[in-house]
Amino acid sequence: MDFLNPAFWTFVAVVAGIYAILSLGLYVQFSLAGLPNFGHVAFMAVAAYTMAILVVRYAVPMPLAAGAGIVGAVLLALILGIPTLRLRADYLAIATVAGGEIIRYLAMNLPDLTGGPIGSIGLLGPGQIAMYNGDWLAFLDRIGANLSTLVGVRVSRDAVAAILVWLLAGLLVLVLWRCERSPWGRVLKGIREDEAAVTAVGKNVFAFKLQALMLGAVLAAVAGLLLAWQIGVFSPEDYQPTLTFYAYLILILGGMNRLLAIPVGAIAFSLLYSGTRLLNFFPLSLIDSGSRAFLRLFLVGFLLVLLMAVRPQGMLGNRRELLLER
Amino acid sequence: MEGSLHELAQLILNGVITGTILALTGVGATLVFGIHRIANFAHGEYLTFGAYMGLILNTGLGQNLAVSALGAVVGTALLALAVHLLVLKPLRGRGLVAMSLITVGIGLMLRNAVFMVAGPQIRQYAIDQSAVSDLGIARISPGQLVAIVITVVVAPAMALFLGRTPLGKSMRAVADNRDLAAVAGIDVERVGAYVWLLAGGLAGLGGTMFAAVQGAFDPNLGFEVLFLIFTTVVLGGIGSAYGALVAGLVLGLVMELSTWSGLAGGLEARFKPVLAFVALIGLLLYRPQGLFGRARIL
Amino acid sequence: MTVLLEVERLSRSFGGVAALDGATFAVEERSITALIGPNGAGKTTAFNVISGFLKPDAGTIRFAGERIEGLRGDQVARAGLVRAFQAPRVLTRMSVLDNMLLAGKDQPGERLSLNWLAPARVARRELEVHRRALDILERVRLLPLAEAYAGTLSGGQRKLLELGRALMVEPRMILLDEPMAGVAPVLAEQLLEHIRRLREERGVTFFVIEHDMDVVMSISDRVIVMDEGRVIAEGTPDTIQRDERVIEAYLGRLAPASAGQGASP
Repeated sequence: MDFLNPAFWTFVAVVAGIYAILSLGLYVQFSLAGLPNFGHVAFMAVAAYTMAILVVRYAVPMPLAAGAGIVGAVLLALILGIPTLRLRADYLAIATVAGGEIIRYLAMNLPDLTGGPIGSIGLLGPGQIAMYNGDWLAFLDRIGANLSTLVGVRVSRDAVAAILVWLLAGLLVLVLWRCERSPWGRVLKGIREDEAAVTAVGKNVFAFKLQALMLGAVLAAVAGLLLAWQIGVFSPEDYQPTLTFYAYLILILGGMNRLLAIPVGAIAFSLLYSGTRLLNFFPLSLIDSGSRAFLRLFLVGFLLVLLMAVRPQGMLGNRRELLLER
Repeated sequence: MEGSLHELAQLILNGVITGTILALTGVGATLVFGIHRIANFAHGEYLTFGAYMGLILNTGLGQNLAVSALGAVVGTALLALAVHLLVLKPLRGRGLVAMSLITVGIGLMLRNAVFMVAGPQIRQYAIDQSAVSDLGIARISPGQLVAIVITVVVAPAMALFLGRTPLGKSMRAVADNRDLAAVAGIDVERVGAYVWLLAGGLAGLGGTMFAAVQGAFDPNLGFEVLFLIFTTVVLGGIGSAYGALVAGLVLGLVMELSTWSGLAGGLEARFKPVLAFVALIGLLLYRPQGLFGRARIL
Repeated sequence: MTVLLEVERLSRSFGGVAALDGATFAVEERSITALIGPNGAGKTTAFNVISGFLKPDAGTIRFAGERIEGLRGDQVARAGLVRAFQAPRVLTRMSVLDNMLLAGKDQPGERLSLNWLAPARVARRELEVHRRALDILERVRLLPLAEAYAGTLSGGQRKLLELGRALMVEPRMILLDEPMAGVAPVLAEQLLEHIRRLREERGVTFFVIEHDMDVVMSISDRVIVMDEGRVIAEGTPDTIQRDERVIEAYLGRLAPASAGQGASP
């Protein structure tokens, strides 16, 4: 796609906003509650699959199906969280990524339920193409039409989506900002540093952590739904652990403990990520476009290592309040 | 019942072979996890690296399997040492989560480097996979034969090394109790470096063996095996080399046997990894010291 | 005098070694009771079990008449039995004031939803907690440091903060584990003064592990002596000092005056 094609950048903007919301969920779990959840992507998967199955097979109205998707993710958070929250940090990381992989494997190997490796298209069985985002597209068109008449310029679907997603992201940032500064957030901050001290003053540490996990799951579910609607199809391949680590990278880029920096991190990440698509000059032109995907992932890994090594507080973080040594 | 018995024998054979690969790889992994106290999410990629080094030597440079495997071992050992010296050691003390993220990053870099250099297409070693030998009660593929030969050579050598040589004993001591070993005069830093060489070498060997046994592989090989390795390590007790040897075999056998039709139809083959994942989570929750580790206060 | 804390046949082992072996004792309300004994006697283990941080293998614990053995640490604290730690565990990355605010009792704002559903109630309680925190900080003379990171406090100041934090929970009884250890003499005097005053003015009961016999003698009404997981003697400081079993248990390990009690600012 051409460098200057606005449609491309609009699409990037939508995805960046969705990643921001995903990362906000991770922020609640990791930066607020200190839970290194390496299986974050599973919440997206459960929400998307629940929604799609309900819409495509049982003709459930979209708002209800979306709600069910979010509930599904919260249930997963409970199932995963209750046993594992007391694990120490690296064991929790392993257990959560294993849990996420179980979800992906099940999605891949239960075709009657999930459409198997083909993904959402296969939800109605072979020979039929299942699509679930008709409502979403119609919704975008409606708003697009109204906006277009308002501003006098034609507003594309993707542009509407970008606006909506970023409005939502902004709203969520404000909501989380308020949560962070509430007594609830204060207890979590204490828990991050010293659970015993917080317990000694009468707070049920486990309950707080579980709440953070569930709240993060809700945000991931929203991100998963938005992504599924926007792209229109998904498959188990889309929910690999790599996606969780994109969110970590975004957290780190923006500054691990700075809520307000997450949108910045998401934009930076998306620019870096999509930017590699456009680097058509030598020597990168030597690598064919198929391999560019691998180059992108290579760079993600490289940045992860580099940032953790050199600047774990990211672009805007506060090193003094950084809590990595556990 | 005839078919069932044949099936059983075949499954046992497959299980033992998979098991020994996990066991050998697991020994290296458990020593590394025990000594350096990190969950190395890149470990699977060391296997991938080994498999592809073997590939280059075997199909690219026309070397026979023995030389290729040796080359894979040496190459991966050096890679592991380099990563340790250049990245992991300088960044030690950043905390468990930071180190985990760093190993994830290294894993991503390795895997995608292989993708970029070698391409995503499925590869094979220069083994005629159709030359299957019929042992009567079971059949054994050339790749499996290769694995058996390697095991027969390497496993006793490994046991001897760990049990009889000063370095091997030091490694086990440090993996078991780092502080005590240091007090006893062991140069923990040096042993720590050697352990990476060993783990890398074993990973390279394991990768070659997996590639030979599976017949066909691509750069995702390591990632798919990563959790099996984690499960082996945890099952055997983190830091217990002998534990890993046993655990690898147990895991391999259990995974294969779970598909036996005699067990109420048996688990479908594609769910084998799920079994390993569930086992891993269960172990971490209820018995993190595995079968042979000591119950440490975490 | 009513009994506030009652411990019966409390037992707890670690890997075959019995840290607590059928310990039985009682602490009276509004008393300052000391818990002494040689190293390894099981004193800190007793505190950990009583406060809910460890589960007992056997035995019962009654606080204000209610059975509390088996309760979690946070539940015991909410019941009115608050512990401080041997090495003060203050939250270094938060301000002194935030440390106090966090400890505030019955905060509706700690329920996430209420911040949105009942903001007025949350704000009202926050104000109350805020006032109480400032009040207590003033009494322990930490008010000037309210905005400072708790990590910048000295050892003695951290102990004062822990005391203040415990008071936020409106305790009936406070467990102190070697409160004088590593505290400069001036601050140590202040701590003792606070303990006395809190007992007088607010009726707080204190149960204190101490090694410094001067402190024990000067401040406690009653002394309980443990050795090898069991209680070997109970009584007034005078009686205890002359008790042969106690002397034997220490085998000359009693620290006379303040020898060995290094005080660092």
